[in-house]
Amino acid sequence: MNETFEPQIVAYCCNYCAYAAADLAGSMRLSYPSNVKVIQVPCTGRVDILYLLRAIEDGADGIYVAG
Amino acid sequence: MIVADRKSLDEIQEMIKDYKKILLVGCKGCVTVCNVGGMKEVQVLSSILKIARKKEGRELQVEERTIERQCDFEYVEQLRADCDRFDAILSMACGVGPQFLAEAFPSQKIYPALDTKFFGGAVQHGIWEERCAGCGTCVIHFYDSLCPIARCAKSLQHGPCGGSANGKCEISEDVDCIWDIIVRKKMEQERLEDLRTYRAFKDWRSARDGGPRKSIREELVQ
Ligand code: SF4
Ligand code: SF4
Repeated sequence: MNETFEPQIVAYCCNYCAYAAADLAGSMRLSYPSNVKVIQVPCTGRVDILYLLRAIEDGADGIYVAG
Repeated sequence: MIVADRKSLDEIQEMIKDYKKILLVGCKGCVTVCNVGGMKEVQVLSSILKIARKKEGRELQVEERTIERQCDFEYVEQLRADCDRFDAILSMACGVGPQFLAEAFPSQKIYPALDTKFFGGAVQHGIWEERCAGCGTCVIHFYDSLCPIARCAKSLQHGPCGGSANGKCEISEDVDCIWDIIVRKKMEQERLEDLRTYRAFKDWRSARDGGPRKSIREELVQ
């Protein structure tokens, strides 16, 4: 694998915890890597196998479910 | 309902390896109920096949359709207008579906994505069990509506055999001996005498032994 490989990560974040935390981090001016793409979901229970598959299908290298 | 399992990804990929554009057809009947060939499973398989093909560095186009029933030409007909746009059709119905598609579209290549298993029902979420073998002449009224044809490993009509132990069948600890259940129920209801009745041989010609079967309802035939 090439040294500069940066995986594209899709992060499905629960509105009430992980997404709120990311939001708070934002208002505290903390940064996170730009290859992590945050997607807000009402609850991680809403995350369906199709969300994971479609993300991979469209080029994501990894998926992160946070909640 | 008819219960099926999805074939392995390897087997499905092998069937469609030469094609670039396929139509993946689900069925809203039995296979939707047993979570193996409905709209959701069509979407999931479509995505998995596309990802798998991408890993090989090639592209696969999949169009998804889920029709009311594949065992009914009336619904199969809905695919006719589009069917020639594809290299092949992959059916997610029971074994009846791909055959109806093959009959309706003789010039198209049709493949099954499922292994069709049995007639049964869900005994708990995610677990289905066989209950009927479609023998064509139902005899379960002799056995308190418990079917020894489908549920006894030997289809005995005068069981249990010597392999029945502690309520289990000799083939596996996981399989209940249906004859143990039948006898127990007869004893509980004080009707054990029923099992002493002499009966004529079962006519197996109405089962698969008589060749492919057909049912004709004169009043419905035009
Ligand atoms: S094609 Fe098979 S799965 Fe679909 S409704 Fe008919 S019998 Fe059931
Ligand atoms: S006796 Fe035949 S038709 Fe009746 S439930 Fe058993 S297999 Fe099915």
